[in-house]
Amino acid sequence: MAVVTTPSKSRLGERQGAGKTIYRFLRALPTWVLWLLVFVWSIPTLGLFVNSFRTRDAQSATGWWSFFNDPQGLSLDNYSDVMAAQVGGGVGNALLNSLAIAIPATIIPIAIAAFAAYAFAWIPFRGREWLFIATVALLAIPLQTSLIPLLQLFSGGGHWTIPLLDKTITFFPDLDLAGSVTAVWLTHTGFGLPFAIFLLHNYISGLPKDVFESAQIDGANHFTIFWRLVVPLSVPVLAAFAIFQFLWTYNDYLIALTMIGGNGEAWPVTIRIASLAGEFGTREHLLAAGAFISTVIPLIVFFSLQRYFVRGILAGSVKG
Amino acid sequence: MDRVISTLIGVIAAVVGSGIIFIGANKLFDVAPRRWSWFTSLLGGLTGLFVFAILWANRVIASPVIWTLVATIIGTGVGYLLGSLTDTRARLVVGAAGGAVLGLIVGLNMRDVILVFGEGNNQFQVGTPIPNINYGELALWTAIGLAVGAAIWAVRGRSKPIARSLALWGTIGWAIGAFGMPDLNTASRENAILGATVLGLGLGAAAGLGTVPDAIRLRRIETGSRKYIFLTPALFFIAASLVVPTIRTFWLSFLDGRGEEAVGFANYSSVFTDANIIDVSNWTGIFGSRMFIGGLIVIALGVILAKLAGTRRGDAFEFGPGTMTPVVLGVFLVSFAVFATLRGTIINNLWWVFTVTSVATALGLAVAVLADRSKRENLAKSIIFMPMAISFVGAGIIWRFMYIARPPQREQTGVLNSLWVWLGQVSNSGTGKTVAAAVLLLLILGLAYFGFAGYRDGNRGMAIGSAVTALPLAWLIYKFLGPGLGGFAVVEATGNIQSQPIQFTSERPFNNIWLMVVLIWIQTGFTMVIFSAAIKAVPGELIEAAHVDGATESQTFWRVTIPQIAPTIGVVVTTLVVTVMKVFDIVRVMTAGNFDTNVIANEMYDKAFTEFNFGVGSALAMILFLAILPIMYYNIRRMQKAAV
Repeated sequence: MAVVTTPSKSRLGERQGAGKTIYRFLRALPTWVLWLLVFVWSIPTLGLFVNSFRTRDAQSATGWWSFFNDPQGLSLDNYSDVMAAQVGGGVGNALLNSLAIAIPATIIPIAIAAFAAYAFAWIPFRGREWLFIATVALLAIPLQTSLIPLLQLFSGGGHWTIPLLDKTITFFPDLDLAGSVTAVWLTHTGFGLPFAIFLLHNYISGLPKDVFESAQIDGANHFTIFWRLVVPLSVPVLAAFAIFQFLWTYNDYLIALTMIGGNGEAWPVTIRIASLAGEFGTREHLLAAGAFISTVIPLIVFFSLQRYFVRGILAGSVKG
Repeated sequence: MDRVISTLIGVIAAVVGSGIIFIGANKLFDVAPRRWSWFTSLLGGLTGLFVFAILWANRVIASPVIWTLVATIIGTGVGYLLGSLTDTRARLVVGAAGGAVLGLIVGLNMRDVILVFGEGNNQFQVGTPIPNINYGELALWTAIGLAVGAAIWAVRGRSKPIARSLALWGTIGWAIGAFGMPDLNTASRENAILGATVLGLGLGAAAGLGTVPDAIRLRRIETGSRKYIFLTPALFFIAASLVVPTIRTFWLSFLDGRGEEAVGFANYSSVFTDANIIDVSNWTGIFGSRMFIGGLIVIALGVILAKLAGTRRGDAFEFGPGTMTPVVLGVFLVSFAVFATLRGTIINNLWWVFTVTSVATALGLAVAVLADRSKRENLAKSIIFMPMAISFVGAGIIWRFMYIARPPQREQTGVLNSLWVWLGQVSNSGTGKTVAAAVLLLLILGLAYFGFAGYRDGNRGMAIGSAVTALPLAWLIYKFLGPGLGGFAVVEATGNIQSQPIQFTSERPFNNIWLMVVLIWIQTGFTMVIFSAAIKAVPGELIEAAHVDGATESQTFWRVTIPQIAPTIGVVVTTLVVTVMKVFDIVRVMTAGNFDTNVIANEMYDKAFTEFNFGVGSALAMILFLAILPIMYYNIRRMQKAAV
């Protein structure tokens, strides 16, 4: 509900001359402060964007703002250089890896979480409340506590020595996943689930009850109800979570760094540009172009689907 | 191009594969009530497949590919027969025979050679899985299993025949006696055949002793299975990636770096005695720092102002922007003095949590309020929100360009240093100095007028606010006219003025602040969006009622809006604390934890994955977990309340 905060007319009317001018100025002041903040907030990105087109010499000689006085030394060379393979595997390859991580790590958790959220909301069974709270409680587990065991699992398989019997069995074979994008999206799938279940459950449990009851009377089973009713009705929240998860997995650095490590072939774009930032000197002028390329996809997703993203954030916190 | 295609295939296979598994499982149970034998054949086939795949992964059988196929086919056949035959004796024969054949296959193919892996010191052997059966022990365990089966049958109400319970539990006892207890690693083919065949026979018999369910039970199987199908994938992934690994990390934190020997609390004590991680030896230095004393003075000033303003109205204290600003500022100064004097990774992390959480919350609230009244609200909010879409790594690089410091002789190419050096030039030129002081003086005069107007109209918030804002401006005038301000240094030999940029990321201890700015830049958008929605949700009648009662804008904000959105503030603060506690990428990219900027997550990464000390790494991860635990408790309580 929008709140219109107009000043009370009587007090404004009382003011005369200079007082009135000052009052007007004061009323406009918040807007000025807001736009000042907006300006400050956009400077860093703007600087990166401008610098990404400037040649190496221009970047090292003057600040990016001098471009506005003297728009020289612009070229697309930085972009073609940074995409090219000779720069440590190339950002192009890294973009591909990022997508190969982010797409399965978005779609699979959505599907899995939608099933679970539906079960938590509409399939009655004993211990449901308890299980749901336990699942959501895992939201706060820092992913750091999982990194070491998961890396061990992916690099050497999972083995368990049965206590008392002293026999070791393998429950997860060594598939040599460490260093591959598969390990990264598998990890993301697990980490994204508690939040996804929480978000989707909030929405799905709020769907009108009569819909489900009449469908059940018509003889529909849970799978049919889920597929024909819940999924179409939940598109907004599914989209909200999809954007959230996509941005999170595409932008992730820690999990990819841990699971992929030194295998540059499989590096996503975050690790690629971080390593570009790490090598001071020769290729530093390519950094701005690389960083900008890496942000293009999330920015497109963000600006085109901002409405859903905001809804996801709000549903994830305010409703709680 | 090959890479593109292979990546694409991998992605599609993963997505489509998981979809097929889920839909298939549902369809399977859709089919169950109508065509039971189809269902049992599939179940039998899958059982054969999975059992042999597990044996395969454990290197139990030689030439696993062909035998897994055979087992799947046999399982399907047995499943079909068990699903359609109703005669008890025939079922028993089919089940037992099928199980025995599968067991025999395992027994005949059980690997009897020792596998050797690796080279040199890393060489290790995998012995054979064939047991050295002790027949007395085997009989004993089988008897125990049978006894358990009988007991369970008795407890369960005796409605079903006893034979099935006996077959199942007797076989479990047999399995423990044949494969669990004895030493493995012999080459006795007879033992392998005996152990595996009887095991398969028993399980098959137990399956055969069941009955084809009637219509009511079929229905119940169909409805009862859904919750498992819907929940199992999620619970499996959560257990595999969060629950079990966390337990294992807890376990590893009490083992040495290689995860072999138990060391008790040594990892934790090594963390807390490491001067790089926590160092409070310098604590007396806090009281000597100018920032600390200045902070205390500002707090005292704010409290006195609040007391004075409050007394005039009859309250104990006045809580408003004018009086709270100095208190908040003072608390900041004091906390900075404390955090900057005590050093170490953990102190840094607390500093991050305190600063980023409070500043991002306050700024987000401010922007939400400001944007709520302005015309092009959505554009402004979009731009402030945009950094949320950028990765922490990207943000770190973006701010590197802001923080670039070039040698004093060269032109500064970073925005901040450029401004700083320019300020230094201004304060060293006569005209610049005068102009700056004049502009500041004008501003102060303007503020004085506002203060006066506020005083006259009884708007104390405005009066005190103006006075407080004027103070730093006066201080700036002093700096311009007195010691000078900005990035410059006097070269002693010549007396010349030279520019002096700030090394933002390496000048300790305040380089930490410059790293925090990056996260504040990102998170303000998040807090703003949430506050913006919360402010719009405040009932309009409340605001109007306050205005009708003669409340000023600021009074309405502090006394109506803020209490209304208090729960949201709680949400934002807890979310931010958790996010900031885990901060890693920004530090990693900008300083890699050097120059006293380390945080727990980066320390953990270094210890675990650079030094490969899993013990200390796990201990640090557990410390992070324990630090987040109270917030988690609070959040769950909140959610429980919301659910009621």
